[in-house]
Amino acid sequence: MRSFLKDNALSLFFLVLFLLALAGQSVAGNADYNERQVAEGGAALSWAEYVTSSDFAVDVAENWQSEYLQFLLFIMATVWWVQRGSPESKEPGKEGTESDSDQQVGRHSEPDSPAWAKTTGLRLKLYSNSLGMTMGLIFLLSWLTQSLAGRAAYNAEQLARLQDPLSWWEYVGSADFWNRTLQNWQSEFLAVLSMVVLSVYLRQRGSPESKPVGAAHKATGVEG
Amino acid sequence: MNRRITFIAISALLAGLTGCASAGHGAAGQAAESFHGAVAGGQGEQACALLTPRAAESLRSGGEECAQAVLSLNLSGGAIRRAEVWGDEAQVRLEHDTVFLHRFPQGWLVRGAGCQARGDLPYDCEVEG
Repeated sequence: MRSFLKDNALSLFFLVLFLLALAGQSVAGNADYNERQVAEGGAALSWAEYVTSSDFAVDVAENWQSEYLQFLLFIMATVWWVQRGSPESKEPGKEGTESDSDQQVGRHSEPDSPAWAKTTGLRLKLYSNSLGMTMGLIFLLSWLTQSLAGRAAYNAEQLARLQDPLSWWEYVGSADFWNRTLQNWQSEFLAVLSMVVLSVYLRQRGSPESKPVGAAHKATGVEG
Repeated sequence: MNRRITFIAISALLAGLTGCASAGHGAAGQAAESFHGAVAGGQGEQACALLTPRAAESLRSGGEECAQAVLSLNLSGGAIRRAEVWGDEAQVRLEHDTVFLHRFPQGWLVRGAGCQARGDLPYDCEVEG
């Protein structure tokens, strides 16, 4: 048990943080929603009603989609583009999907390589892109969820203002949908940019996200 | 059995996500029809009982009671063309009117009637509150 906790401490730490933050969001979001409802003469929702409402779903989904897009782009962009001096980047000259030998696939695989890395053809192609595809799929599903839940929440507001509700197509072209989307995207892109650039010059001793403290600024692809 | 539970769970999730409650369409439509039925039948008190407190209050101006005022507007409804429910709000399109309703614990009440569309602007309603 102790060994399991030690071996998986990083995942468990973020899982606990995620659950606590989500629970906190549901409580704070419910209180905020109810304050607005009471001010507008509407009825308050219980916690159970709120966490199954479109208002909560759109607030969760709009953040999820942007996080998964951030990592999807980070994963894919770092295949083809480098940043000299950044530990988040490959060394200049290694741009691209690299050779089978570098990637230890097919006949270059090791005895302990994953089973699909030892194959060829479609299975190898799928496994070679499985991380990007999974992140991309979760991004698309979260974005779709944001559009469905966002439309529901927006249409309730429209009707409360004595305005017509929007179709799904009208909603995905609306200012509300793109405002929710882009305000999340810009912060994610800024965070990645900061990480890539700041890690060239700054260090965090012991972190694999940083270069070793004594590594040269121009050293690329070195993790501490 | 498991498939049935899965179907019910997915239906509930989608209903929550999209804010749609198909059963609500009928109840909101019924409330809109009842309101217009009471107006057409000259039952002002009954029509006012189907208005939200704010909408009923908006008709009590110049010493006139809601029951008299609501009948003097000459509102006409007709058959339901379409009803949409989003959260606790509903819009019911009738042959001769568009009605807006809000869901209260006791049921749907009319918050806008005698409404005319004005493009992207809010509807202009004779009864509004």
